[in-house]
Amino acid sequence: MSGSLADRQAALVATLVAGAPLPPGFDDRLVGVARSALLRKRAREVARHWPLLAAGLGDRWLSVFAGWAAARPTRGALRDGWDLARQLAAEGDLPALAAEELAAREAGWRYDGTTAPRRRRLPAVRRAGGSWVLQVAGRIWTLPPHRR
Amino acid sequence: MRRMTEATGTTYGVGIGWRPEIAGFVAALPGLRFAEVIAESLAPGNPLPPALAALRERQVAVVPHGTRLSLGGAEPVDPARVRHLAQVTELLGAPLASEHIAFVRAGGMEAGHLLPLPRTREAVDAMVANVNRVQAELAVPLALEPIAAIFDWPDDELDEAQFITEILDRTGALLLLDVANVYANARNRGTDPVALLDRLPLERIGYVHVAGGATRDGIYHDTHTDPVPDAVLDLVTELCARHRPPAVLLERDGHYPPAAALRGELDAIAEASGFPLIT
Repeated sequence: MSGSLADRQAALVATLVAGAPLPPGFDDRLVGVARSALLRKRAREVARHWPLLAAGLGDRWLSVFAGWAAARPTRGALRDGWDLARQLAAEGDLPALAAEELAAREAGWRYDGTTAPRRRRLPAVRRAGGSWVLQVAGRIWTLPPHRR
Repeated sequence: MRRMTEATGTTYGVGIGWRPEIAGFVAALPGLRFAEVIAESLAPGNPLPPALAALRERQVAVVPHGTRLSLGGAEPVDPARVRHLAQVTELLGAPLASEHIAFVRAGGMEAGHLLPLPRTREAVDAMVANVNRVQAELAVPLALEPIAAIFDWPDDELDEAQFITEILDRTGALLLLDVANVYANARNRGTDPVALLDRLPLERIGYVHVAGGATRDGIYHDTHTDPVPDAVLDLVTELCARHRPPAVLLERDGHYPPAAALRGELDAIAEASGFPLIT
């Protein structure tokens, strides 16, 4: 195997997280096992930041996340979940609970999809299915309120 | 050599990796003298989380365990990450700090986990250069942990014992020996874990990790979310029969069991190592 350590490390990471082909000489099966383990770990981390996204998808969570993430290197669990939630919303496949979670984030933060999200300083309101999410001074209200 | 005697002068016994989810459990361990915290989870500009500050007041040593410095990366370690580790170490008043013999990013992409290095001279050189950069900022010894690897590189020039020993020799770093990683690698490669113990510089152990794992896809995964297998405890006993380290620490990172089960694991580690119970 040739190339500098830096190039070879980059090629291996690209295989594991960006869907690049396996560098020569590696065990295809074992690298595949490692890739799956990385995706499961990443899914757990995203689920911690986006609990309603994961809960809303239920049994589908791991396969939906893995399908979306397999060739996308992480940009951090917060942004990974955000990007996935937006994509599912655009496809009409975002569960209601997750839509509310997304709306609350959108109302509280400004996120352009390419740079790190920033907290909004001004009040904002976002629609989530049949309800509205209102953010004022960092606090979030859902309208109409949920019955508990 | 000076660094070694400083770190190994004190015996701490059985410890546990502090995590926010089990802070209450850890606080209630009467005999605890040694704990570890993920370095990246602390912000040096802020005071310690109250639960950690309380451990420090009880004279529990709390060691920062770095996971994202990528010391085995071909690029120089990020100076901001080095500074962070040094500041956190100071904030904790820790007797040592630790990181891994691994890399976690390359080519601008995060792997999201610890990846193995090729066991080559070039990788040893990269690792040594980065360890030296960290040691230049740290006021206490650094301990290096060999990882559990699911796969190996195709062109290793050194075997595992040679690779680890060479890095320790050239840096003067301590060894953070994870017996669960030793077990996982031996099992997955079909080698003898005790034979590896016999070839490592055990007198340079700063402390020891113990963790649980599970078999999946025919591979033993060092998950930190499953019970500690008896085979790993047996390896603790094998190790302590050769050289008893200053501390043996349980790492648990999720799927936390009931307190009684976690206490049972700490007691089993105490029994396997010959240290007093801390529960």
